Amino acid sequence: MSKSVLIIGGGIAGIEAALNLADYDFQVYLVDNFPTIGGLMARLDKTFPTNDCSICIEAPKMYEVQKNPNIHLLTNCEIRRVNGTEDVFKVRIVKKPRFVDEEKCKGCGKCTEACPVSVPDEIDNKIGGLRKLAYIPFPQAVPNYYLIHPDCRYGKMKDEGACIGDCIIDCIQCRECPIALCVKACKDEGGDAVMLWQREELLDLEVNSIIVASGIESFEPPRGLYGYDVYDNVITNLQYERLMNAGGPTQGEIVRPSDGAHARRIAWVQCVGREKREGKPEPIPYCSKVCCMIATKQTIVTLEHGADAKAYVLHNHLQTYGKGFYEFYRRAKELGVRYLKGKPSDVFENPKTKNLTIRFEDLDKGEVEDLEIDLLVLSTGLIPGNSNKRLSKILKIELNEHGFIKEKDPVNAPFETNVKGIYVCGGATGPIDISESVSQAIGASMKAAIEVSR
Amino acid sequence: MNVRVGVFVCNCGTNIGGVVNVADVVEYASQLDGVAFAEEGKWICSVDYLSKIKESIAEHKLNRVVVACCTPRTHEPTFKSTIKEAGLNPYLLEFVSIREQSSWVHKSNPKLATEKAKDLVKMGVAKAILLEPGEDIRISVGKNCLIIGGGLAGMTAALAVADQGFKVDLIEKNSKLGGILNKLDTLAPFDIDAGEIVNDKIGKITKHDNIKVHTNTELEDVKGHIGNYKVKLGNNGNTEELEASTIIAATGMNEIEPQGLIGYGKFPNIITQLQLDEKLRSKSLGKVKNVAIINCVNSRNEERGCCNIGCLVAIKNAVTIKELNKDAKVHIFYRDINIEGEDVNYFKEAVRKYDIKLIRYPDDGKIEVFGNGKNGALTLKTYDILIGKEFKINPDLVVLTTGFQGDSTVEKLRGLLKVSANPDGFFQEAHIKLRPLDFANDGIYLCGCARNPKSIRETIEESLGAAMRAGIPMKKGYVEAEGIVADINKELCNSCGLCAKTCEFGAIEFVDKTQPPNVIKALCKGCGTCAAECPNDAIDIVHYTNEQILAQVDAALEERPETKIIAFCCHWCALGAVDIAGVSRFEYPTNIQIIRVMCSGRVDAKFIERALELNAAGVLVAGCEFPTCHYINGNDKCKDRIERLKKKLSKKNIDTSKIWDVWLSAADGPKFVATVKNMVEELKLGR
Repeated sequence: MSKSVLIIGGGIAGIEAALNLADYDFQVYLVDNFPTIGGLMARLDKTFPTNDCSICIEAPKMYEVQKNPNIHLLTNCEIRRVNGTEDVFKVRIVKKPRFVDEEKCKGCGKCTEACPVSVPDEIDNKIGGLRKLAYIPFPQAVPNYYLIHPDCRYGKMKDEGACIGDCIIDCIQCRECPIALCVKACKDEGGDAVMLWQREELLDLEVNSIIVASGIESFEPPRGLYGYDVYDNVITNLQYERLMNAGGPTQGEIVRPSDGAHARRIAWVQCVGREKREGKPEPIPYCSKVCCMIATKQTIVTLEHGADAKAYVLHNHLQTYGKGFYEFYRRAKELGVRYLKGKPSDVFENPKTKNLTIRFEDLDKGEVEDLEIDLLVLSTGLIPGNSNKRLSKILKIELNEHGFIKEKDPVNAPFETNVKGIYVCGGATGPIDISESVSQAIGASMKAAIEVSR
Repeated sequence: MNVRVGVFVCNCGTNIGGVVNVADVVEYASQLDGVAFAEEGKWICSVDYLSKIKESIAEHKLNRVVVACCTPRTHEPTFKSTIKEAGLNPYLLEFVSIREQSSWVHKSNPKLATEKAKDLVKMGVAKAILLEPGEDIRISVGKNCLIIGGGLAGMTAALAVADQGFKVDLIEKNSKLGGILNKLDTLAPFDIDAGEIVNDKIGKITKHDNIKVHTNTELEDVKGHIGNYKVKLGNNGNTEELEASTIIAATGMNEIEPQGLIGYGKFPNIITQLQLDEKLRSKSLGKVKNVAIINCVNSRNEERGCCNIGCLVAIKNAVTIKELNKDAKVHIFYRDINIEGEDVNYFKEAVRKYDIKLIRYPDDGKIEVFGNGKNGALTLKTYDILIGKEFKINPDLVVLTTGFQGDSTVEKLRGLLKVSANPDGFFQEAHIKLRPLDFANDGIYLCGCARNPKSIRETIEESLGAAMRAGIPMKKGYVEAEGIVADINKELCNSCGLCAKTCEFGAIEFVDKTQPPNVIKALCKGCGTCAAECPNDAIDIVHYTNEQILAQVDAALEERPETKIIAFCCHWCALGAVDIAGVSRFEYPTNIQIIRVMCSGRVDAKFIERALELNAAGVLVAGCEFPTCHYINGNDKCKDRIERLKKKLSKKNIDTSKIWDVWLSAADGPKFVATVKNMVEELKLGR
């Protein structure tokens, strides 16, 4: 009988581990908290140091996951409980309601068309993207089923025009809905897939091993840091990534949140999250590795889009550690990107123009300088995924001092956690780029395969 | 046997039927030559309708199927398996996209949308008539792995491959396993003795029944492909032959001696970081009181990038020197400290605990070291950018952290394995992000410092990964490829060998000019670049034959060609962009008729010429944006080919302004739409 593995997290690490173990004749249960797999990589525009389009190279892998008969895809699911020994783990999974019957949804999008309520898209934040309450996370989502926001039940969105008529019956009791527009639109299509009365389901599995690939998150700067959340034209590198993206809210136009004008002078501030303030420790006490190359990539794409743009990168230790990274940095310099050693001491906004002035000490010159720009990008670091703490409790695995999942001994027991049979890879281990995540995912799969077969 | 095509047209609820007059399309399809049956369905991908398709295949004795519905990118597998269940070869399916390419994007013009849907169906039927059965291709793979290089990467991979139950031949050019670790003292950031790790691995390898170690051995020759490599090994003049199913390249790296840089070679007490490690390991450093370590020597410059590990190694050796003599002064001269993640703690703690001085020198690398005449004493002079003034010390030892290069055997191996390497002799992986441990050629994998300089931790991780990559085909016992492969017509072939040079996957075996090359079908990815490049038109691609594609061109241009633009779109990014335009309901003119190819590399100049001969209004070639190509560089080759064609046509005074190309990401819906609109405007079309 073939062996089984539970993979927690459907980002690029989880996807890679799933594909490798499925090819190795494992039954793979790939669980993701979100309604689609793809993880952080699916939100990026390009990947360094080649400027490959991120979703273009990831989506084919996502489709492969869906097609592979050995992979059981469990999206919108959470791990609730894990009991077991090193041979068999008994896993209880909660499947959160999507309010759409996956067997009936054809992915036609009529529910979205019918939905009158738009809300800010989580992934676009202040750069202005909207989505409906009936939606798919992004066009290449896998699986390609729609979902409905929980607030749409009980006629709660009636005032927004999402329902015709009143209702006082509990959706869960009712099991049909004569008033919601999305339900009607689906029925009109002959679909009947929208089920506002759907409840969470419990799934019980038994697996031989577990790989934690729960990923990493981008640090959200506190209000006021370099004017973030105070000045309109200060955004994070992840938001900038969406600005660059042809599929993003601005269709790839680099425009300012304040007035929609094209940004011509853009500065990146590195190491955001590593500031010591008022005697408090740094929010991120380690180097996040990838932000220097993300900024470099973003400057290159920006200058290649608009030749008259000016790009400045204010940095401390420039991380160029990987294959082709330094060459990538040199390409940016050749394109005219100005790398300045120094960190802003202050950022001011001109209330009229909404332009920003950065004051910083240029370490190469030893002088304090002011730099006026249209748009400021905060290169924020990477922090542990917010599910790490929960997973550590459920799986009884240790976290390191920063909150990443602890590898027992990277030299003698790579990828192993303190619990036998549970392995870790990718962003769950700490800051990491896509390439290393993939290498680790394959390596962790090997570890799991060898140990299970012993 | 008579060709009997069945056409199934989907309403997709109202997604198609709400715009396109589906009944009209069905009626039109049923009149086309070769069509034996045509029908519409509300949702043709529904389980009910799929069984209906199967019944219709039996009832009407259909032997080709055209589905006209959404996009092949999501639904092709469903219909393929349906017709397979009905007893038809799955390659006898043609997928026509009338939702993404018509109803969703020509919403405000139902009449023209219907006309276009008809054209698309006609093109599909024209191709379907010429479809031939295909088959998935399999080569069996045995259970022997050859690992080249007995350093930490090779040894770790060998143990992981052997632990899976496969046989390993581990070859090492030196007399002892261990590689560069045999010269190192300790390993950062773990403070482990390098010798201990090597001995531990050698112990396990010696005991392992599945591993055979060949020391003093180099690879002399390799022939064959995955599952069947014939390998010749050379050992002090003796040769040994063996067979392997898979190969892992773990050839490691060497330090580049910085001859002539910062006084190296002039003074005996200026040494490299690796020489320092050797002295520390053999406890022969002697007493040093004032040590200067200079980072980024011969790297992070115009010639090569960051050495990845130098900062960590520098701090590790600084600590060891301090442990030997706590009164010694140690300065590290650096440009940027490249120590990330958890290792930052190790670094900070070391600097604090051992009072190691850090001096940041400018990026233009101005550090001078000269002898000051007093028995070997040196003076080092630089500019400290943090203090903002000149900095001078008199070290008795200067250590240069220098760059690395791939092993000297890489030059030869590159040719033998038919893989690429960069100018510093580091091997080139199939894709830097998503296939870091594979070569483009199936069956050969890489790990560790053979890729680029790696820390101990990264080396171990990658080596386990490479063992998995090599393990998968050996565990399965075979590799399988889709039947979309190149086929060489030996009568037309003049054995020039261009196809073998064109192929990035090593799928074409070319011996010499006396015999036609041979396609190793299991390695062929079906991109079709070789077919488009072949000067004798001797290569065809199964399922995307010249005849089939030309039939689509002919069908599209049968009526009113002067209004039509023929677009050749690659299956990946270009069709992805077309689909995004559809999903986003971006409207664009109906003039464009899309023909799908797997890669833009397949687009033969003669396809474009045929469209122009038939008086097409324009031709658009759409492939993946650079550098993304799902077949490495088919898009590059296509772009060159279009340029060559334009030159050729210009010489004949043929107008080339009708030939356009666009390179898209899969998110580039808007760019695709803009291109179509521009073309229609500039070519002054309009229906």
